[in-house]
Amino acid sequence: MAAVAPPSVFAGGANVIAVGVLLAEFGMLRQAVLRDQVRLYAAQSALISALAIVVAAARHVPELYLLAGLSASLKVVAVPLVLRRLLRGVGAERAGPGWTDIAGTGALSVASTVLLAIAVAAFGFFSVAALRIHSPVLPDTALAISVAVSLVALVLMIMRRDVVSQAIGFLSLENGISLSALVVAAGLPLILEVAFLFDLLVAAVVFGLLIRVHHGRAESVSTAELTRLRG
Amino acid sequence: MTAAVPYPLVQVLQVLTVAAGSPLVSGVIARAEARLQGRTGPRVLQPYYDIAKLFRKEALAPEDASWVFLAAPLVAMACYLTVPLLIPVLTTFGLPLGYMGDILGGGFILSLASFAVTVAALETGDPYAQLGASRAKTFAAITEPVVLFVVFVVALVTGTDLPYALAATVRASAGQIVRPAHLLAAAALFMVILYETGRIPVESHSGTSEFGMIEEARPFEHSGPYLALLRWGSAMKQLILYVILINVFVAPWGLAASASLGAVLLAIAALLAKAAGLGVIVAVIDNSFAKLRLFKITEFTAGAFLLAVLGVLTLYLGGG
Repeated sequence: MAAVAPPSVFAGGANVIAVGVLLAEFGMLRQAVLRDQVRLYAAQSALISALAIVVAAARHVPELYLLAGLSASLKVVAVPLVLRRLLRGVGAERAGPGWTDIAGTGALSVASTVLLAIAVAAFGFFSVAALRIHSPVLPDTALAISVAVSLVALVLMIMRRDVVSQAIGFLSLENGISLSALVVAAGLPLILEVAFLFDLLVAAVVFGLLIRVHHGRAESVSTAELTRLRG
Repeated sequence: MTAAVPYPLVQVLQVLTVAAGSPLVSGVIARAEARLQGRTGPRVLQPYYDIAKLFRKEALAPEDASWVFLAAPLVAMACYLTVPLLIPVLTTFGLPLGYMGDILGGGFILSLASFAVTVAALETGDPYAQLGASRAKTFAAITEPVVLFVVFVVALVTGTDLPYALAATVRASAGQIVRPAHLLAAAALFMVILYETGRIPVESHSGTSEFGMIEEARPFEHSGPYLALLRWGSAMKQLILYVILINVFVAPWGLAASASLGAVLLAIAALLAKAAGLGVIVAVIDNSFAKLRLFKITEFTAGAFLLAVLGVLTLYLGGG
């Protein structure tokens, strides 16, 4: 069997950052404490900004610096801040029965969820390999990882039974998509990227509202309450 | 230095280094752990005294236990003395018996030792020993696939599955170190080592809390020289696993490139220093985390499995 040739130091480093993004996604999937889930989301966003800076420096795409700065200020600082404030507000004002900082249990045990997510991520890897998309700025593996991040985010939204985790799943899904945008379209017009970022802010606010409304009605953040229809 | 050591002697020295150095590494870890907790702690050489004391004691066996119970510590010890022949303990080049088995071969021999100890624990009829044996095998069913995937990563990275080849590949260029497959496999192996050596977050190493015991519970009924062999064997297993992590994956530097006397002596000192350094890291982890509940250990091993599988997946597209 032939050995797989090592990537260049740039490609290896970029792949390591991309793998870090994927591991942060898996971390969110496993993490039971909502506050730490928000922290992991901030770390994941920071990694994506770091990757954008690495690409900007190594591939000479100066507008990526601006994008990295904007996305860091929004996704590392603003969105987690909004989420944390919402969590605190929900917890302090209405400490109803059933409200704790711990998320509701998922549909499967943590270990089984991780195994399922590994299978889904593997599907992402193989499907990208079949597509044969090549990028001029980043290695193919980074694209496969970005698809895996999006798929694992979907698993997170499906498997967790609390609104906060589902919101974080949605927001980190956007992180996966910005990672793939970085790979296949690093030179995307800046105005589009910025528009996406502000979409994200709107999404965060909408989710915040949903969390509040749901908590106000159900006295809990668990979506298990929603299975019973009421006229 | 010019005096050359004959290869067979270097081979014997590999085994002797592991056999003689392993209690020292255990002692350093125990000492570092105690210092981190603000205690003075035992002497660094305490494990040697413990083993010597046990060798002088009388050996007792449960009435119903058969010869398997008494043979198991010897089988385990023989296994632990064999593995250092196969892995790069002191040299960068393969010694005459170094190609006798690959990483999987070494893994099989280590599992054989664990199997012997487990069977002996089942022989005793002691509930604690049997509990430990059953738990050890339950979780090993999850950690062994992790080791397999780590071997797959090694095979994809080097084209062989010889530990010497991977160490040489890692030394070859910086690109080999930053590739994610290598980092993921090393991290997964480190988690398996924490499990295999019975460290926090899997098991508390010192003390005998029956609720959480896995590895520690198995030699419950052994005594005297047999217990000494088991204790020594588990110290050797710990050092062997550290050597695999250090000299194959993380830091294969400081090994002897030739069989000259100076280089070999330097390699022995470097190995023990690196193992003690890793031991201090393990002691810091021991003091920074809480022990996981028994039912949460699958989450820990699933995490290790995740890292190892991702390592193989990143290699799949040729970019890992």
